[in-house]
Amino acid sequence: MSIFDELQQAIIDGKAPVAKEVTERALGEGVRPAELFPNAIVPAMNEVGRRMRDCEFFIPEVLIAARAARAATDILRPLLVGDEEVRSAGTVVCGTVKGDLHDIGKNIVAMMLESAGFQIVDLGVDVPPEKVVAAVREHGANVVAMSALLTTTMVNMKAVIDALAAAGLRDQVKVMVGGAPVTESWAQSIGADGYGKDASAAVETARSLVAAA
Amino acid sequence: MTEKKTHRIIVRPTGVELRAPAGASLRDLLFEQGVEFPCGGQGRCRGCRVRVLEGTAEANAAQRERLSPQELEDGWRLACQCSLGDDLVVELRQWDAAILVDDTPFHFEPRPGLGVAVDLGTTTLVAQLVNLSTGKVLAVRTALNAQARYGADIMSRLQFAAAEDGRATLERLIRRQIASLITHLMVSAKVSGDEIRDVVLVGNTVMHHLFCGIDVEPLSHYPFESNEIGLQTFRASELEWNLNKASTVRFLPCLGGFVGSDILAGILATKLAKSLENVGLMDLGTNGEIVVGNQSKLYCASTAAGPAFEGARISMGMRAATGAICQVQVEDERLVCQVLGNVAPQGVCGSGLVDAVAAGLEIEAIQSSGRLGNGAKEWTLAEPVVLTQNDIRELQLAKAAIAAGSRILLERLGTSLQDLKMLYLAGAFGNYIRRSSARRIGLIDLPIDKVTPAGNTALLGAKLALFSLDGEDGSYTELRCRIEHVPLNADQSFQDIFVEELAFPSSTHVRS
Repeated sequence: MSIFDELQQAIIDGKAPVAKEVTERALGEGVRPAELFPNAIVPAMNEVGRRMRDCEFFIPEVLIAARAARAATDILRPLLVGDEEVRSAGTVVCGTVKGDLHDIGKNIVAMMLESAGFQIVDLGVDVPPEKVVAAVREHGANVVAMSALLTTTMVNMKAVIDALAAAGLRDQVKVMVGGAPVTESWAQSIGADGYGKDASAAVETARSLVAAA
Repeated sequence: MTEKKTHRIIVRPTGVELRAPAGASLRDLLFEQGVEFPCGGQGRCRGCRVRVLEGTAEANAAQRERLSPQELEDGWRLACQCSLGDDLVVELRQWDAAILVDDTPFHFEPRPGLGVAVDLGTTTLVAQLVNLSTGKVLAVRTALNAQARYGADIMSRLQFAAAEDGRATLERLIRRQIASLITHLMVSAKVSGDEIRDVVLVGNTVMHHLFCGIDVEPLSHYPFESNEIGLQTFRASELEWNLNKASTVRFLPCLGGFVGSDILAGILATKLAKSLENVGLMDLGTNGEIVVGNQSKLYCASTAAGPAFEGARISMGMRAATGAICQVQVEDERLVCQVLGNVAPQGVCGSGLVDAVAAGLEIEAIQSSGRLGNGAKEWTLAEPVVLTQNDIRELQLAKAAIAAGSRILLERLGTSLQDLKMLYLAGAFGNYIRRSSARRIGLIDLPIDKVTPAGNTALLGAKLALFSLDGEDGSYTELRCRIEHVPLNADQSFQDIFVEELAFPSSTHVRS
């Protein structure tokens, strides 16, 4: 088993201490930090996404896998500064809309996006539209990703889109939405640019939105 | 070649969606969904009544004979007499059998006159007419909540209420429906409205607000708290109800968040607030409500468990009706399923689902992570009924929400589940669930002798309230001071505990 495969397996199995150990060992053997993303971390999280989609993995397995991925990326991120090979896939401002406190789904999406190379600005839960606008300005975000778990709070996604428009930022940023009650047609009806049915679909959506920008 | 037009039929409450050509008989279509035709589909009885919630179904002469003009106007039809000419949403009348009424004996102080107790549930209504001097129940009526056509669960009901005239529509519907239930009670008991002194209603906070005409907007978003949760009192005349002018209609006060007077009534019925030792009450439904405590302090909470316990969002889920697998046991490593009505199995109800998963864990067809063994996509209980991987995930979400909610309340109380002297289970699901299975899946980790199915405690509590109205105006001020509502969504640890509770206990888990 190559060291890339070892790291990949440790992440899929959700073994954070092993992921940390393998990452450190790889660096010791002279593997460049930038190589570990496309060869181990990204494919591992793609596999986690596939298993989640196929109902093989459920929330706990996904969360511990993401935790293991983070054990590796926490070591690698500081080493990447100035590395020309690693360009951020884009900056995503994410959060759960105002009035809603559900954050498990949003956290999974954020972790999947992070492993896929996006810079994440996580605004947390019960996020008012003004806060999204401020974060987009401050970080020059490419994408806003909003989550809602309640039929009564998903209307606030529209409020975020309106606030971005009022601030004159709507042309600079793509908006994607997701969460249990959210559908593709709802996303279209409020003028969102993209919709993610689940966390792995959200990664695909974010990639294509950035590519199209 | 001419293409024959097809129509879509959505069946409530199962949520099953069917397609059939124009002209097809509703009898054939619904028979396959478990509806029974007592007279054999001749239009001679009313047994196959269905209610058309959306779309048009013509009523023929046989139906005009069997159904009253009011019933016809309300959308009632005889399924055996209807042919398909439109897209339809129909509600099956036969599920009414699953509504739990209350016939528990109780102690009371006699009062003159008659009273009515109403358990106003999100899904179902139960009303009993009671002789206040003898304690005798004179009549009982049940119905599906008429508001349910505008959303099955409380969140979608709130969403409908937010639209223009939405709240007024829901208020009008429920006030009229309860008036009609009371009229039916009077007719069957042969009494006049003049004799009715008091009406007591109990229900969750959303039902309370929608009946009483209070703005539900604060309940639709964080922090899900309303300021107007107290006792609401009406003169029968202001509701335009045909009762004694002096009679009073009371909607008992809520406890906080979504926890309403149905739980307050449950506390009265199970005497939780009089217990010297720590006890608990659980009402398992789409919204699971939990109370734990003793005579000096009680903590309560509601948790969104999702509809799995009621068989909804389960691929072959159905209410506890004819054709539902209601019990599953393992005998000689084989599954033995019990089907309601002793017919061929058609689906699985909440209690059957819990049993099935417990059995699956036992024979290792299901792993403790919830994953089906051998990477299977589905698991056959009894042909043609299967559980899918996703069905098991839905149950995991429901049980984790309840288990996490209980843990947080018990921590507040400074105790653990194992130290509870008794846990009462309220409601239909609590009445039918097998306690050992509830334990096996980690829903309620207690030996069965410490869990008591307590029936419809909301209705019993509402009746007890009727008898105490001479000394207590129904505001229960002192009692409510001892009950603290804990908003679970604001509890930092809730989501972590919820994730922890998603897995099933492993087989090495100590059990007695």
